[in-house]
Amino acid sequence: MVADHLVIAPLLVPLVTATVALLTRRWPAVRTGTALFGGVVYAATVAAVVWSVVLAPDAPGAVAYQLGGHAAPFGITLVVDALSAFMLVLTAAIAVPALVFSQRYLRREDQDVFYYPLYHFLLLGITGSFLTGDLFNLFVWFEVMLMASYVLISFYGGPKHTRATLWFLVLNIVGSAVMLVAIGGLYATTGTLNMADMAQQLADPAASGVPVAPVVGLSGLLFAVFALKAGLVPFHFWVPSAYTAAPMPATALLAGGSKKVGVYAIVRLYFTVFSEATVPVSLPGASGDSPLAFLGPVLLVMAIASIAVGGAGAIQAGSLEGVFAYSSIGQVGFIGVAVAVAAVAPDAAARNLALLAALVFALHHTLTKGMLFLVAGTVRSATGTSRLADLGGLAGRYPVVSGTFFVGALSLVGIPPLSGFVGKFLVFDTALRGEALAGGVALLVGSVLTIAYATRAWTVAFWGDRSTAVHHGGRDSVQVAILVVLALAVVGVGVGFEGVYRFADAAATAATDTDAYVEVVLPDGGGSS
Amino acid sequence: MTVVLAALLGSLFAFGTFLLLRRDLVAVIWGTAIVSQGANLYLLTMGGFVEASFDAVPVLATHGGEAPQTTDPVVQALVLTAIVISFGMTAFALVMTYRVYEEHNTLDVFELGGDR
Repeated sequence: MVADHLVIAPLLVPLVTATVALLTRRWPAVRTGTALFGGVVYAATVAAVVWSVVLAPDAPGAVAYQLGGHAAPFGITLVVDALSAFMLVLTAAIAVPALVFSQRYLRREDQDVFYYPLYHFLLLGITGSFLTGDLFNLFVWFEVMLMASYVLISFYGGPKHTRATLWFLVLNIVGSAVMLVAIGGLYATTGTLNMADMAQQLADPAASGVPVAPVVGLSGLLFAVFALKAGLVPFHFWVPSAYTAAPMPATALLAGGSKKVGVYAIVRLYFTVFSEATVPVSLPGASGDSPLAFLGPVLLVMAIASIAVGGAGAIQAGSLEGVFAYSSIGQVGFIGVAVAVAAVAPDAAARNLALLAALVFALHHTLTKGMLFLVAGTVRSATGTSRLADLGGLAGRYPVVSGTFFVGALSLVGIPPLSGFVGKFLVFDTALRGEALAGGVALLVGSVLTIAYATRAWTVAFWGDRSTAVHHGGRDSVQVAILVVLALAVVGVGVGFEGVYRFADAAATAATDTDAYVEVVLPDGGGSS
Repeated sequence: MTVVLAALLGSLFAFGTFLLLRRDLVAVIWGTAIVSQGANLYLLTMGGFVEASFDAVPVLATHGGEAPQTTDPVVQALVLTAIVISFGMTAFALVMTYRVYEEHNTLDVFELGGDR
């Protein structure tokens, strides 16, 4: 019973924190204290939710919270199952270290400009997207998340930042309009916005008289919007400029959290909601008769393109965070390959395994890339620059920072026992089992590119002659401590993989088990007669 | 009615897209505003426009229950939310445009360039 009400807590914590931080902005100490405390409480709440819903011995596995007691499908529903819980953990794992990092990274006058309320509103939007059980609310949470990111990207207000924001803004306004069109269309065809109810209607279209064919097209529109949020090629244009413009800790949350919302939405909608539908039309170039058959090939092509573009971009990028931003595009491609293989998997076991690979890789990406953006932040606040041309000899001057970068780079490359190894291993395994030859080749090429850009960043910035900027720099010990903690987490995920595997397995199972999802949200079969 | 609205929606989206592809930044922002409004209007039409009866309303038609002369309240609630969001976004976009003009002294998309 307590678990039932706990579900809404991860939403309330950032909301209250953001509001309080907004009200106490005249007292910087109080405001900063509240913001940091709110972050810690957020992590604790997520841990409590995950424990009581998924991990505890007698856990229900999934809980639906009907807001205001209005039962689904008519009310607003929040759902926590293993998949949402997994994504929440991933978000909290980067949000809290990045929040503490912000306090040491941003200049005082910058912190005064509503930084903490924005950060917590971003966190709120991400959390809401993971928890909502309702398509229209997914749109609303997306907007909450986007509004905070617009301001965070334009935060420093220089020429580069305003331009990055404007492109991001225009792209996302158009994306939102497309999403509204898709949601409206889905409502008109299925008569519901509740995802569980929609899954139920689509699974048995004869009983409810729902035409399934339009759903394929509408789901394609939704897919484009989610791919835009995830930064998959050809919707990746905003990624490098936005990620290099935002303050580094905010970028860590954008790359670690916001980006995963797109991935989560694809998995949730396609694998939980649309997977049961059988399409009466034959799709060109696709085998099978569910919208998944269409998702597979399209996503595979986009993921392969992402790997190529991300890798190539990272090799020519001019700054540390530029390298990581492009690398982010490539890494989402890796997740995309696994999801694409899952979409066309012949049986449930293979599908589970492929989704599990995608989720583990997402966890790896959040931790590693989050840490690397913070490394870029540390280097920037120590030396005043993160341009590769101005850096050199960091390894001798800052051995610990360089060590964490090294761990992160090795993890990106996929060296055991780091988190990147298990993630990459599972994705490779998936591609080979799924006989996605093109995917396998792309992964191989992507890995070679990863080695190339990681080596380039390492040799240029960390080895070689000590540049003047590095020579005169200082460093902040708290920032370094956070990096060390995150590096240990990256190692920990690889070493203690047993537990991560079980959690990810539960999440992958939850993603594909439509019946269980429907059962939780609509215990008495919902409003349909 | 349906045909008129379909034509109107089509022209809104077409005009919005045309503006989105202009070189002038203010035109681009107008384009986003018009596309968003098109999406809002489209959302409203999704409730159905046939003679008001229960089977024209998706939420009633698929969940049973006879109700005479009904219009769909759900789409209205949705469009209210969407309107608020798109107005907010448009306002913010206009402010950003002004800021970009201050920073870069141009409103030409080509001169602003991409990521460099």
